[in-house]
Amino acid sequence: MATGPSDVALTDLNTRLGAPVARAGAGSDAVDGVVPRLVVEPQTPANVGGTLAWATESGRTVIVRGGGTKIGWGPTPGPIDVLLSMRRMSGVEAHRHGDLTATVQAGTTLSAMNAVLAEHRQWLALDPPDPDTATIGGIVATNDSGPRRHWHGAPRDLIIGMTLARADGVMAHSGGIVVKNVAGYDLARLLTGSFGSLGVVVNATFKLAPRADASRTVAVTLAGPEQCGPYVAALVAQASMPTALELAAPPPAMLVRFESVETVAEQQALQAVTLAEQQGGRAVVLAGDDESHAWRAHDTRVFGTGQDGTILKIVTVPNEVSSTLTRITEAAQTNHLDYAVTGRAGLGVLNVLVQGATEARASFVTMLRDRFLPGQGSVVIRRADAELKSLVGVWGPIGDGLPIMREVKRRFDPTGTLNPGRGPAG
Amino acid sequence: MIDSDFLSQLERIVGTEGLVRDESELLTYESDGLMSHRSRPAAAVLPETAEQVQAVVSLCHRHKVPFVARGQGTGLSGGALPHPDGVLVVMTRMNRVLDIDIPNQRITVEPGVMNLEVTRRVTPDGYYYAPDPSSQVICSIGGNVAENSGGAHCLKYGFTVHHVLGVEAVLPDGSMVHLGGAALDSPGLDLLGVVVGSEGTLAVVTKVTLRLMRRPQAVRTLLAAFDSTDAAGNAVSDVIAAGIIPAAIEMMDRTTIRAAEAAVQPGFPDAEAVLIVELDGPQSEVDTLFRQIEAVCERNQAWGVQVAQDDAQRGRIWMGRKAAFAAMGRVSPNYYVQDGVIPRSTLPEVLRRIRALEQRSGLTIGNVFHAGDGNLHPLVCYDDAVEGQAELAEQVASEILSYCLDVGGSLTGEHGIGSDKACHMPKMFSDDDLATMQLVRVAFDPHELCNPDKLLPTPRLCGEVPGPYRAHPAEVAGLATRV
Ligand SMILES: Cc1cc2nc3c(=O)[nH]c(=O)nc-3n(C[C@H](O)[C@H](O)[C@H](O)COP(=O)(O)OP(=O)(O)OC[C@H]3O[C@@H](n4cnc5c(N)ncnc54)[C@H](O)[C@@H]3O)c2cc1C
Repeated sequence: MATGPSDVALTDLNTRLGAPVARAGAGSDAVDGVVPRLVVEPQTPANVGGTLAWATESGRTVIVRGGGTKIGWGPTPGPIDVLLSMRRMSGVEAHRHGDLTATVQAGTTLSAMNAVLAEHRQWLALDPPDPDTATIGGIVATNDSGPRRHWHGAPRDLIIGMTLARADGVMAHSGGIVVKNVAGYDLARLLTGSFGSLGVVVNATFKLAPRADASRTVAVTLAGPEQCGPYVAALVAQASMPTALELAAPPPAMLVRFESVETVAEQQALQAVTLAEQQGGRAVVLAGDDESHAWRAHDTRVFGTGQDGTILKIVTVPNEVSSTLTRITEAAQTNHLDYAVTGRAGLGVLNVLVQGATEARASFVTMLRDRFLPGQGSVVIRRADAELKSLVGVWGPIGDGLPIMREVKRRFDPTGTLNPGRGPAG
Repeated sequence: MIDSDFLSQLERIVGTEGLVRDESELLTYESDGLMSHRSRPAAAVLPETAEQVQAVVSLCHRHKVPFVARGQGTGLSGGALPHPDGVLVVMTRMNRVLDIDIPNQRITVEPGVMNLEVTRRVTPDGYYYAPDPSSQVICSIGGNVAENSGGAHCLKYGFTVHHVLGVEAVLPDGSMVHLGGAALDSPGLDLLGVVVGSEGTLAVVTKVTLRLMRRPQAVRTLLAAFDSTDAAGNAVSDVIAAGIIPAAIEMMDRTTIRAAEAAVQPGFPDAEAVLIVELDGPQSEVDTLFRQIEAVCERNQAWGVQVAQDDAQRGRIWMGRKAAFAAMGRVSPNYYVQDGVIPRSTLPEVLRRIRALEQRSGLTIGNVFHAGDGNLHPLVCYDDAVEGQAELAEQVASEILSYCLDVGGSLTGEHGIGSDKACHMPKMFSDDDLATMQLVRVAFDPHELCNPDKLLPTPRLCGEVPGPYRAHPAEVAGLATRV
């Protein structure tokens, strides 16, 4: 542990990096209320590595931050010696549009990246919350995604290469710039979703998607939550190919998006309307501004800036989405909580916002966790106050894989420098 | 060390039926699809249950005996090459389909189940398993998981890793773990994402849960001939530039077209190159995009365009493509398959270099590849009976890999590193990269028992300075050069 005063450490680190890259931490830098002693904002991979090497050698802890949109996710940290902000490591390094790939620095925001890719009508097909502030590094570290995961997948499905800085400061590469590649262990995938606990993402390479010509969204109002499952099943049965298949509650509703050439998107949307009506629901096709509006409203239901409260990720198998929704409703009512749900109806991945007393939220989490057998579903806390996190834990049961996960963490970061205690395996 | 006591303990676990110790019977397992690498295991076991696998691995762990898992032995990188002092764990008897869960679009199988069997089992329900290696009739799901196998339709639908939801696996210390599951996003590190593609070096997989896909509404397949591979390559680029991701785009050159014709008579035109383009999805989308594909082909002077009118015609086109490897046996006594990947925009440049190499070396090189994702499969033809040709072929194949790396590509797109290319890894990765990968390996397998000497270069395998090249007479004679 660092014993000396912070300014000694500050001078020491800046001397090592050869530039005034580090500064003292301030209240506005706090993570879950913990103010870091130092804040480092490197502009080069060498300074990322240098900071990490220095911290590891001197027994200091490092927390990594991208845009800060998800910095409250994961368990509450202990004392933080260094907050490593990746904000200034930003920019698209290469857009190989003929190959549908791009390499981007970790501190680039998703919006900034996609603005560059748009020049060739391509994009990184991820639509998680806060695209204007969330950075690629943060999105990768949390494997975060949004409605279009239904068709395009999550970061783990799209990442094809990575440069990472290890806890000891060593830089390593994995994968490459080609979309198909099985040479070596897939470290990029290993780091994706590791909550910064194994290494720091310096840059990442992704496979991209072409932007579709046109989009239509079908807004469906369902008679009840139990209607959701059959509707999804009916869409699947007719081999409908939506790019997003979202659920929202309460009241139960769905948004189904089709992206293709115009006539095709329109035609698929009309088929989805007919199907909804056959199931006793009501549906309209949205396009243009109405469509954008509907999606903005949907996205902000759980993740809106004005929404405080606890955000949970509840995952189930696809055919249990309706019953899980019913359980969520019951558990919220039993515990007198306000709640809102959005999520991937076809994949079984739901985001749930709950507001109410701490014990009530804790009871809500426990009730839902108890419902899932290992491998059949999970309830993970994304954003919550430190109190709730300490009451029920962030991850819930991890299962018999935990010892080997801990061993991987220990091998990558034997001194426990990186995001200690914040990753799912320490 | 494997002694008679060890063997009788193995026998107690798997029964007399499940233990192979007879020298001549062990010959069956001497190599996988990479016939040029051979090694006889000290013993082979054929477990029937996960518990037996666990007991075998635990025994090996206690005695520090190396072990290698083997599926159907169709791997092309020597991944299932036995360890001479070790136990070969043959998974073929673990071939039960355990659970078909159509409402959740999942299937759970034992690793010895064949790839195509998965699709066969769910076809009546209108579903299929997307990854379709050309070897799908003869390769196992366990091997697919280990190699992260691909196939022609992976351009649109992704590789094995995108379709494996969970595994049960025995770690090298004999403990059993469950990674992933029927539901997505299991909390914890994504070790599933690392075990898939780890070439049997991290664990022995004993159960696999796969994602099933709904059969698309419509499928349309087109075959087009071109007067040069460049023209065919340009057509591929134009398709991608138009924002179309077909289900598959495959290319074959004159050598492989002729071989396929000789072997299975798919009725391919005798051209410098053919492209097979397949679209699938909703009927209206397929119809619209298909017209665009036809226009692209026309712009690039395609001729002899055949559009499959029914499943039988489509089947014939794919038979021609999928038989290409085996068909090379008709035009050459032996061949060496490479699996390098290039950014697809560099296709014309790399193919030109391969042509030049073909002339310089005097060895015929056939090309059949997944053009959509730049995965080449150069087939270097040689005759083992001719002194030095086998080495020359390996040399030529190595050189092609250098071309791939020169343009930022990869050593392998789907066949894996195995024992074949482990010594090439330092050409693609730095010492630090490899040391970081080694961290994963030692976390799982600190005693180096689980398929050792594969995937990562070791001094034992590659000598003090890792690197595959020894000066070859042909090289000295200027027939082949190092890059
Ligand atoms: C004609 C032909 C065409 C081919 N076409 C393709 C193609 O289009 N795409 C493609 O990707 N590949 C292709 N291959 C390569 C090969 O078929 C695949 O790599 C396949 O996945 C290997 O499966 P297998 O059961 O034969 O595995 P094996 O060859 O027996 O083993 C392969 C690797 O898997 C490991 N392994 C096997 N089972 C397990 C288990 N249960 N747990 C842990 N590790 C295990 C082994 O240790 C080894 O490292 C082709 C091969 C041939 C001969």
